[in-house]
Amino acid sequence: MTGAPVDALQRVPLFADLNQRELKQIARLFKRRTFPAGETVVQEGSGGAAFYVIESGEATVFVAGKEYSTLGPGDYFGEIALIDEGARLATITATSELGCYGITFWDFRPLVEANGVIGWKLLQSLARMYREARAG
Amino acid sequence: MTNADTVTELRFEPPAPGYWERDAVHFPRPMTRYWQEVHPAAFARGTGDFARFYGMLVGSLGSAYVHGFGYRSMVPVADEEVPARFQRAAEVMQGKLWREQLSDWDERVKPDSIEAHRALQSVDPAGLSDQELVEYLTRCRDHHAAMIAQHMRYTASAVVPTGDFLAHVGDWTDVPPAELLGLMRGTAPVSAGASDELERLIAAFEADAQARELLASDDDPGQVLASLRALDGETGEAVSGYLDLVGYRLLDGFDISEPYALSMPDALVRAIQIAVAGRDLEGADVDAAVADIRGKVPEQHRAEFDELLGEARLTYRLRDERGVFSDIWASGLMRRAVLEGGRRVAERGQIHEPVHLIDASFDEMCSLVADGSGPSADELAARATERTTRAPNAAPRSLGDPPPPPPDPSGLPPDVARLMRATGIALGHLFGSSEAEHDEQVLRGLAASPGIYEGPARLISGPSEFDRIVTGDVLVTQSTTEAFNILLPLLGAIVTDSGGLLSHSAIVAREYGIPGVVGTREATGRIADGVRVRVDGDAGEVTVVE
Amino acid sequence: MKGTVPLVKAHETALYGSKAVGLGQAMRDGLPVPPGVALSGAIVEAVAAGNDRAIKQVAKTARPLGGPLAVRSSAVDEDGADASFAGQHLTLLNVPSSEQLGAALSEIWWSANSDSAISYRQRVGLFTRPSVGVVVQALLDPESAGVMFTRNPINGADERMIEASWGLGEAVVAGQVIPDSYRIHRSGEVLQRTPGFKKIAIRTLPEGGTFEQEVQPELVEQLCLDDGQLAALNGLADRCEQIYGPARDIEWAFADGKLHLLQCRAVTRSGS
Repeated sequence: MTGAPVDALQRVPLFADLNQRELKQIARLFKRRTFPAGETVVQEGSGGAAFYVIESGEATVFVAGKEYSTLGPGDYFGEIALIDEGARLATITATSELGCYGITFWDFRPLVEANGVIGWKLLQSLARMYREARAG
Repeated sequence: MTNADTVTELRFEPPAPGYWERDAVHFPRPMTRYWQEVHPAAFARGTGDFARFYGMLVGSLGSAYVHGFGYRSMVPVADEEVPARFQRAAEVMQGKLWREQLSDWDERVKPDSIEAHRALQSVDPAGLSDQELVEYLTRCRDHHAAMIAQHMRYTASAVVPTGDFLAHVGDWTDVPPAELLGLMRGTAPVSAGASDELERLIAAFEADAQARELLASDDDPGQVLASLRALDGETGEAVSGYLDLVGYRLLDGFDISEPYALSMPDALVRAIQIAVAGRDLEGADVDAAVADIRGKVPEQHRAEFDELLGEARLTYRLRDERGVFSDIWASGLMRRAVLEGGRRVAERGQIHEPVHLIDASFDEMCSLVADGSGPSADELAARATERTTRAPNAAPRSLGDPPPPPPDPSGLPPDVARLMRATGIALGHLFGSSEAEHDEQVLRGLAASPGIYEGPARLISGPSEFDRIVTGDVLVTQSTTEAFNILLPLLGAIVTDSGGLLSHSAIVAREYGIPGVVGTREATGRIADGVRVRVDGDAGEVTVVE
Repeated sequence: MKGTVPLVKAHETALYGSKAVGLGQAMRDGLPVPPGVALSGAIVEAVAAGNDRAIKQVAKTARPLGGPLAVRSSAVDEDGADASFAGQHLTLLNVPSSEQLGAALSEIWWSANSDSAISYRQRVGLFTRPSVGVVVQALLDPESAGVMFTRNPINGADERMIEASWGLGEAVVAGQVIPDSYRIHRSGEVLQRTPGFKKIAIRTLPEGGTFEQEVQPELVEQLCLDDGQLAALNGLADRCEQIYGPARDIEWAFADGKLHLLQCRAVTRSGS
């Protein structure tokens, strides 16, 4: 089976409004990646190459050295760097062995461009982050 | 990069009768012609002064340059002067006359020097006519020469009490000199950059959030400094005051070929950031270390230990102050003037780069500025290339016949013997001529990548510590892997415990053109994090520089 | 599905990457390269994506090699000279058998597509999607191994410089020991034999992977190459130069009494 299993993506809010066929198309673009416990998955400040969805395990998000939140199955991360090709905004460390599905921007970008629903959801994510950043 | 062919053509002859030793500690690289003209007379004057003040059996020290490499020799005192010297030595040791020099320095010489530097500094060379610039160059040169002599004049007072302490404690215990010198920490805040101006700066930042924000920004360091200077009120003034004090100090070395602080804004911004962030709590550590060593001294000598340590710590700061407030500042001012001259001469198309004027002799500098006559652009460019690429290991350690051994100190009057020993030990430590003491400070490994670099050592165990590296650091680590590649643009040199000439660290050091010494076995065990080290990738040596 | 060939048949760098083609060419030229297979960038990506057919095909192609295996990346659009900085030359030593290749290939694919790899490529002007082939070879269990430059990289002198240690050559490449250092004139005259300080040897584990074994005290400073081996290395240097030209950077190993060539590329700079 190529790509991610559909039910790994089903719970992801970003893909919530897609039908099964659309989900299958997207799932095929993902590749499995496992990070051992303790490994830095993404480093704040570095360039970003992939967007990830968590299938199993737990990760901690650090912003400017301070713990910010935890992520678990169904959560996703890394999309902002792919959108504006900028630096990673946070450091994410696997607290347990982390099973993810990842997609690089060569596949991520056409995906977003082709599907307006996903695009809209990403905008909502961004808006929420922006609001949180201003408040904090 | 070094040209192996040129090296084999150089012949090294003694510059004058006598025995000449290579001073690679102060002059690791070939010096400019200007320096070679100015230094020897000033050096002889200053060293002669201190020898006379202290009643030493030295007439003066000589300095000479062979293919640009610095050598020094000793001129003994004339026989008829010896009795006067013996008497003076006794007066010095009994009366602790270095204290006289210290108060002279604090009350008169240092403030006068600062005033003289500021007077020259307040002139903007760019606003001078060509003729005025030639006069200004002459003023700067004369001032520089006077400051070199001044630096040397205070050498003994920086050195004798320390040497005396080392000599006695060396007899009583087997604690190595490097460790004993560690007890001087905290007494030389100038070396760490402290000053009234810096204190004022720290206070200003503590009270000014906007300034702190500016300081923490990611902007270009030159921009950051300009913005800080431009702030209204106390902060802007404090920053200007600080920059005026340190801006024209050479960051390394003594020659006009070295950059001064203002030309490396990154280093200045870092220095301010570190100062504003807080200081080291060194005091606590030193007290413990003192107690520890005192405990090793036999009981009957402990009172003397306290006395000797007290004198050493009192004068220790002169070691750096005598340079920083004398020729290290004056050299920066001379460089500034020469660069302005170079700018004009380059504009007229008579040299290729402003900085090439640094390689002209003083007379050549003046004539090029005044009427354009002098060496051709190609000639000066060739001199610059030669000076910066000549391989240091070409220069032999000594030239001329070795002198007869010095007189057995036990045959001399006790104060004279004590003084000689103190000076010998301290100067040996400074110049590294004592093999055993030198080896305490020198680590040897494989010469993996050529060049010499001096900077702070940063002990890194792995990628988790990468964020501790600052531009200009010397990486000291067990071995490197490709993960370390991202650090390379920041590093000045690489030192490893293991690895051969074909290992990753050696290869990347050569690729990046930075000095590399690998396979030292013990670098991570013997070099403390943050100490200043000199990495000699030609000789395969790493030296902890005090 | 196309995309897997025995190493000796790897010709196209656009498919298999420069390392595979380099080793294949060396094999074709009669140099002692351990047997292996070359996997194309496309099939590595398919395996990383979880494509079952691709995974089966790769396992089948590699089965004749037995086990354990050495798996190395062979990047498709970086020429060998610059590749030392890409940080992408991931080498997985000791994948126990062809059945475990899927996970190894996935790791290599992600390494080539990691944040730092992509950033680095962009900085050097490569904005295209990376493609990474893989070389799978039978893993040797060498007595001694190391690196040889066919010309002295420090001063450019016309002599071979060899650094050697016990066990797998990674100890020398990664600088984990102070290796023995040898210099040989191209005539064969040995100019220098300096024992190193070889406290550890990298050895393979039965279940996969490697470990650092402590070397017996009497061997730590004992030369690990004898004159016969030095002569063989000089001969290998000669042949490599004849075929590829001067200034080669060679990784080699002595296993079962025979000399093997693991890598042969151009020295990037000769230290001047």
